[in-house]
Amino acid sequence: MATEDFVSRLPNDIGGFEAGSVMRVEHVLEPWEKRCHALADVLDFKKIINTEEKRKGVEALGETLIGKLPYYERWIVAFANILFTKTIVSPTELAEKMAEVEARFAEQAAEAG
Amino acid sequence: MAGPHNHGHDHDHSHDPIEMADVPGYYEVMETAIRELLIDKGLIAANDIRRQIDVLDSRTPAVGAQVVARAWTDSAFKERLLADGRAGCEELGITFYDDTQLIVLENTEQVHNLIVCTLCSCYPRPVLGLPPDWYKLKPYRARAVSEPRKVLAEFGTVIRDDVEIRVSDSTAVVRYLVLPRRPAGTEGWSVDALAAIVTRDAMIGVIPVTVESPLTLENEAA
Repeated sequence: MATEDFVSRLPNDIGGFEAGSVMRVEHVLEPWEKRCHALADVLDFKKIINTEEKRKGVEALGETLIGKLPYYERWIVAFANILFTKTIVSPTELAEKMAEVEARFAEQAAEAG
Repeated sequence: MAGPHNHGHDHDHSHDPIEMADVPGYYEVMETAIRELLIDKGLIAANDIRRQIDVLDSRTPAVGAQVVARAWTDSAFKERLLADGRAGCEELGITFYDDTQLIVLENTEQVHNLIVCTLCSCYPRPVLGLPPDWYKLKPYRARAVSEPRKVLAEFGTVIRDDVEIRVSDSTAVVRYLVLPRRPAGTEGWSVDALAAIVTRDAMIGVIPVTVESPLTLENEAA
């Protein structure tokens, strides 16, 4: 592919590209995926992150990561990056909160198990 | 890519077998952490998320089907709907929980409409709910705009050569809904009976509405 194509097309811009057959796949959202979708809507209503910022945030992950991450995984990583850029949440805060949540989930699993 | 598990991947790769994991994965931990941080900071409320989940659950293709059935049976309503899709839906009490405009595209003997979002997954969610995975995956997004007839054929839909196919590419703020053609043999049907044969895929434009559709609808809901 000529380099001009990379300059003029960002990773999301795939309209007109060759691709395989359409497989009519669907799945029922996992509870966390639905929460992630609701979070996206709420962030949009509250004017914290709008839909277009989210889309650009996904695009900013780059083609490799976009290719590797499923749909809602791309969204949540994009939200983290956008919240860092807007200095609403710092990377340290998120890391600490994730450690806390992970420990809590592990504890709950141990209690349930 | 059909298989026992699909999570909206745009690509082919093998992954670890799904385990009945006791502990949520990395991205669920991230989602929970971000949500809780925003709640702690007072930027969102836990109730906002719960309420929005209820809203998402309340939006299914049955909402869009009511709009279509009403348009088929009330020509004045259809005119208003085609002039302003959002206002037409709001007239029926359908709220738009997002900041989007809706353009309703009427299929006729001369024109067949198809909707897509080449950039991502924009979709008329207030009237159809959340999009199916295939709508969000590369093959449909990439090819719907360049070879719509071939894509339609993969859905078993063959459009006569003398019928124009119009593909509308959605954006973050402008969404589309296809008003399918009313099938022959439905004269005198009630709005509810008509709504029951209107499927999600017909409102995306990948299949027509047929009088045999209720079975398909049940299968898709399962």
